[in-house]
Amino acid sequence: MAITILPPVVEDSRPYEVDSDDDISMDSEEDIEMTGVSRPHKRPRLQGNSNIGAGIVTPGEVVTDDPQWMRGHGTYMNPLSTSIIATVAGTVQKTNKLLSVHPLRARYTPEIGDLVVGRIVEVQSRRWKVDVAAPLLAQLPLSAINLPGGILRRRTSADELQIRTFFSEGDLVVAEVQSVHQDGSASLHTRSLKYGKLRNGVFLAVTGTGGSGASSSSVKGGVGAGKSASGSSLAAPGGSGTGGVVRSRRQVWTVPTANGGGEVNIILGVNGYIFISKHSEGEDAASSTTENVSITRMEEMVSSSIYSSQNDDISPQTRREIARLAQCIRVLVQSGVRVDEETVMGAYNASLQVDLEIGDDEDDEDEWRQEGREYLEGAKAQQILELVKQQL
Amino acid sequence: MSNQRQASSASQVPHLSPAELSYLYTSLSLPKNPIRPDGRSPTQFRPLSAETTILPGTNGSARIGFADGTQAIVGVKAEVEKTVLAADTLDSRSLAQHGDALNREGEQGSAAVSGQGEWVQMSIEIPGFRDDDALPVFLSEMMRESLVGSVAGGNGDAVKEMAGGLKGRLVINKRWHWRLYIDVLLLSQPLAYPLPLLSLTTHLALLSTKLPKLKSTGEEDPFFDDDWAAAEYLYPRSNISKSLSAAPSYPVRPPVTLLVISVGDNVIFDPNREEIAVADAVLAISVTRSGDSETLKLLSIRSIDPPSRLTQPGIPNSENVNMLGATAAPGEETGGQEEVEGVWRPRRGGVKRSVIARMVKTVLGKGGVGEEVLEGLEGVEVQ
Repeated sequence: MAITILPPVVEDSRPYEVDSDDDISMDSEEDIEMTGVSRPHKRPRLQGNSNIGAGIVTPGEVVTDDPQWMRGHGTYMNPLSTSIIATVAGTVQKTNKLLSVHPLRARYTPEIGDLVVGRIVEVQSRRWKVDVAAPLLAQLPLSAINLPGGILRRRTSADELQIRTFFSEGDLVVAEVQSVHQDGSASLHTRSLKYGKLRNGVFLAVTGTGGSGASSSSVKGGVGAGKSASGSSLAAPGGSGTGGVVRSRRQVWTVPTANGGGEVNIILGVNGYIFISKHSEGEDAASSTTENVSITRMEEMVSSSIYSSQNDDISPQTRREIARLAQCIRVLVQSGVRVDEETVMGAYNASLQVDLEIGDDEDDEDEWRQEGREYLEGAKAQQILELVKQQL
Repeated sequence: MSNQRQASSASQVPHLSPAELSYLYTSLSLPKNPIRPDGRSPTQFRPLSAETTILPGTNGSARIGFADGTQAIVGVKAEVEKTVLAADTLDSRSLAQHGDALNREGEQGSAAVSGQGEWVQMSIEIPGFRDDDALPVFLSEMMRESLVGSVAGGNGDAVKEMAGGLKGRLVINKRWHWRLYIDVLLLSQPLAYPLPLLSLTTHLALLSTKLPKLKSTGEEDPFFDDDWAAAEYLYPRSNISKSLSAAPSYPVRPPVTLLVISVGDNVIFDPNREEIAVADAVLAISVTRSGDSETLKLLSIRSIDPPSRLTQPGIPNSENVNMLGATAAPGEETGGQEEVEGVWRPRRGGVKRSVIARMVKTVLGKGGVGEEVLEGLEGVEVQ
């Protein structure tokens, strides 16, 4: 079947459900006099301690009237009143007497040392502007890249003139956050053999590490979020249940793939941008010998392919495995599981296993059935998720 | 925003780097078995969720959500309107044309009044675009045109009420007719070219559209049964028992417009944004069931400017100034025109005839994609 049409899914995540909602009848005779007319216009306000932290608040919603609370991130307080109002949609978090709202979804907040994948959106005279999924574009100064040949010298006006030969609009770069400015925008650098232009693969964007203090340390005192996070250890830190890339020990690694796919590199940018590419031999030599490359040898290493936009020869098997890895990550993100080396590898192995099982079951199916089987959705995705959860 | 405007006539093209474009293009143009970035087969659609009759104040409505998060809602509203009697324009020619239809539908007397295309009004709202921006205007005209143009022929049972297609169905009598307002609302940012989503949703909404049952007959002022339960579907639903007894009937259906792209020699359906970005040709193919035969009827083909023409070419290693030191002396000059393996070149020139023919054939053929889509949509429960 070329097309799958599913019935709509009813999300039952409405903790504030007003009881009178149920008896709205869609009877055509009396659709003007719906019972819902008498519904209260506002949800009952949360008052006192007991209710705070249950469920989700929306921007503009009064979290509490109680003057004993201090307002934290994601909240706002009218100078004339004592009520604390949410400014983002998310879960209420309490730390002693500090009340903050942890957003369900937020853009990436850069931090020094983060490995990010970005896309050049603008070329200026001495720098590039890079989209890293942060609220503001990051900048990559001309002085923060490796020159071809690894020459260490001042950037001249000749370099400024041929700035587009290094990176031009649309190019993908992997870089590190060098500093974060007052306004929250980041400065990047690519002064390492690991960083630079990306090619030989596919890009995909998922949720990154964002929001106020999405790093795992801030969950400690959170009551509301802590509770939901404890439900499944797989949820992204912050507990809001939205999956995405999290800061972890290794953001870049190489996968030896099955089905003759060869080796594949995965780069998980902390900002949620992901690049999956074929592993090339030269790279291997470069990265493994990074430590003992002398300053003179470095020239040769850098010059090899760092600003190339020509893809290597990539076999169909490798392409297939790259597509499979990309889908595994999508499955993880869609079901709100965090994305890091462990879960990605788990999902990848699970998808291979699921394929084997299915392959045994239906060997004699039609041709077209075979074709679509690489698409991971529905039941397959479910199986993969369960296998991943078992492994962790 | 300016970026969006710019791309309004083509699709919403993401900025892709030449290396990515080259990777995608090569994957998609692999002979016989293209590898799509999400692993689908060439004719496979992304799963979508659909429901109908969601807006209580409309005659028919539907909502479809694609797996990538884009969603559309369509509401169909019908209104009785007095036909401006340009009675004389009902010239002998059109009378003769509808003569046989008139004879058959004797009890309705004057059903031969032909409908007018302008009785169907369509407005499309896309977030971030004004009403008079190119994209919404172009899309609505493209969809209205196939909707109005779908004239049913033939003489099956089911066809009888639909003589003259949708236009004919809107005629009440010589002096009165229905006016149909179709309001299409895209709820999310248009991630890819939104045409297939909007078209499928409109199709579903029209399938679920009901008009009140007419009580008056002939040339009287129209008078309707106020029992909504007795209302009739705009497009008569197929009756299973009937189709079992008699020869299988092929009910008239609203058209669907499918987006098809070609990459190399491959034909790919339901392309996502990245796939459109590297397409050689993008076609919007409208098909419908016309009622007189079991095959689908082709209503229109429109080509959409493929965004790949506007992309930046990649620079082969041999010409890259940053690599001159590294590579061996650039012996053979490629001259910048030749195709180099692994380097992106924007597509130039047209598409082969055989490819276009194959695209159309895949949609129209028996058991083809068009049939499967229509079948799938038919399967959506309509209350």
